Amino acid sequence: MCSVDELEELEKGTEVDWDSYLKAYYEKPRSAKTWSGFDVREIYTPKERVGKDYDETIGDAGKYPFTRGIHGNMFRGRYWTRREVIGIGSPADTHERVKVLADHGGSGLNTIADITYEMGLDADHPWAMNEVGLTGVNISHIRDMATLTEGIPLDKVSWSLITASTVASVTMAQYIAVAQNRGYDIRGLRGSVQNDPIHFRYCGFRPACPLDLSIRLGCDVMEYCTRNMPKWYYTTVNLYDLREQGITAPQEVAFGFGIAMIYVDELIRRGLSIDEFGPRFTFYVSCHTDLFEEVAKIRAARRLWARLMKEKYGAKDPRSMQFRFAVHTAGCSLVPQQPLNNIVRISYEALAAVLSGVQSLHCCSYDEPMCLPTEKGHLQALRTQQILAYETGVCNVADPLGGSYFVEELTDRIEEEVLKIMKQVEEVGGMKEAIRTEWLDREFEKEALKRQKEIDQGERLVVGVNIFSTEPETETPLGVQRIPSESARTQIEETKELKRTRDKCRLKDRMKQLREDAEEGRNVLPAMIEATKTFATTGELMGTVRMAMGYSYDPMEIIECSF
Amino acid sequence: MQEKRKIRILLAKPGLDGHDRGIKVVARALRDAGMEVIYSGLHQTPEQIVNTALQEGVDGIGLSILSGAHNTIFPKMMALLKEKGLSDLLVFGGGTIPPKDRERLKTMGVGEIFTSGTDTRDIVNYIKGVLEKV
Repeated sequence: MCSVDELEELEKGTEVDWDSYLKAYYEKPRSAKTWSGFDVREIYTPKERVGKDYDETIGDAGKYPFTRGIHGNMFRGRYWTRREVIGIGSPADTHERVKVLADHGGSGLNTIADITYEMGLDADHPWAMNEVGLTGVNISHIRDMATLTEGIPLDKVSWSLITASTVASVTMAQYIAVAQNRGYDIRGLRGSVQNDPIHFRYCGFRPACPLDLSIRLGCDVMEYCTRNMPKWYYTTVNLYDLREQGITAPQEVAFGFGIAMIYVDELIRRGLSIDEFGPRFTFYVSCHTDLFEEVAKIRAARRLWARLMKEKYGAKDPRSMQFRFAVHTAGCSLVPQQPLNNIVRISYEALAAVLSGVQSLHCCSYDEPMCLPTEKGHLQALRTQQILAYETGVCNVADPLGGSYFVEELTDRIEEEVLKIMKQVEEVGGMKEAIRTEWLDREFEKEALKRQKEIDQGERLVVGVNIFSTEPETETPLGVQRIPSESARTQIEETKELKRTRDKCRLKDRMKQLREDAEEGRNVLPAMIEATKTFATTGELMGTVRMAMGYSYDPMEIIECSF
Repeated sequence: MQEKRKIRILLAKPGLDGHDRGIKVVARALRDAGMEVIYSGLHQTPEQIVNTALQEGVDGIGLSILSGAHNTIFPKMMALLKEKGLSDLLVFGGGTIPPKDRERLKTMGVGEIFTSGTDTRDIVNYIKGVLEKV
């Protein structure tokens, strides 16, 4: 029974506020700006295209400057790769999830390193013990890589290995060593490694990614793969992580290209020609919620990269000029408030990626602001891709938004803005200087503050956050992903056991070779692969190269070299 | 007239987690709201954080964890604070933390857990609400 007061209160609670209902009826958008702040007009007309030659500025898909896509027939030749990122607990746990997604129509394998592995720490490192497997998979030694890849035909599948830091060199060594032990010819291996250590300093991995070591090891991987693994994509320059700092779409492209050019310059300095390595250079791009801006950004990036490769670097092979990219939908656009709404955000972002002619796509899981993806969350993300591919018809035609007065105009404006920012970077002394002097850090911080202010002040609306917000959820729909604590314990024990039982004499010889190669400036990959086969661990391989380059053996400066 | 002492807050990133966009934005918001903020930088052990809190004589500690390590790091922090006689310090946090874990951490004495999508003014008001009452 309710008291009269309580009844009145209840009635009030359910009463519709008709004033705000009417206000909603007449409401119009508060802002006519794009996500990155471009003012846009009410309508775009043929006037915007006057004096602009189609073939020169846009061109058909598959033709220079590739504004409309790198293949003439785009998805009619082949769908984009549906590649969901997986990294959870131990190599065995991750292997299980890989199988689940492969069973349900995923078309590319994609595994991600955890923070301990990215930092170059073995599972038994004092800093690693509490965090093994929490944000990805830790690979401490070759047996872990063997477990991760168990029973999978490495000569047939395409595997994307997400290790971004300098440890990508170790990841490649471990993958190659396992493949060779199983009798595969590495010339036939297909897939990619993220291997963009320069950008990773901005993701909290500065101890593992000093600039010179990043360039050295990043380019060792690129050079080794170029010479020995013709089907392998040896870097995925990560524009995505930069965008997640809060920067705008044009900044994402400009800063990402700045970093990409550091690698390109170094590979040329090492004597490779642009057309030898250019065709296997790839990128990782964000798709945020502003559909047209994201499409325009990617079209502008394709045109800019093609011109850069041709005009600045003298590429002759059209494949060197093609901007190949994977998309990761914007994790930072997702919020824990009313979490099912994230599925809708992810869908629009994935749509932008597909309309842009993406080569490979990862859709975030709706539950990512709360935890690692649950199996159901992961599957739902894969289904989002499949609905796009099989139900919507958006992949029938190459660059379906091409020729839209608005999208073409926005593509041009983003291109102009990117060039302006690239010039700014030149003015501070080039990208290496921008990094060294922390100019880039300051840009990130400035933009992150702006983004927060926009939301706090209601200039940028996020449903469930600063508009239509409701009581906070007390449950996560579809549950929460937990990492089994025994996974980490087993991982730590196995690493200790391996260190106790391996043949130390053989290992010492191989490590000596690695150290000499690193000191004398030779490519470290061959020696790393051999040392891996004699059970050198991730931390030991990295530590040895670090010491040869004048850095502490342990990035966390706790353990000492045992060789 | 004696000026009122500013609220002093230590913001810290424990463990290996490198996501620092959020904590830097929060640091700025607290400063703009008139607090003194010490930001620890990345890769701090719970021991280092508690020592800094002692040395700096702070009124509260905010921990940012987006790596999923909250269920081990917060309890360790709370135990250490107790050991050092700092149990009455305000401890709050932020990050990628599921609703049930937020509730569990609060029963351990963590004041509040903020997630992404939080208005920075809510964090300011929360801290002022707790510390200015004292």
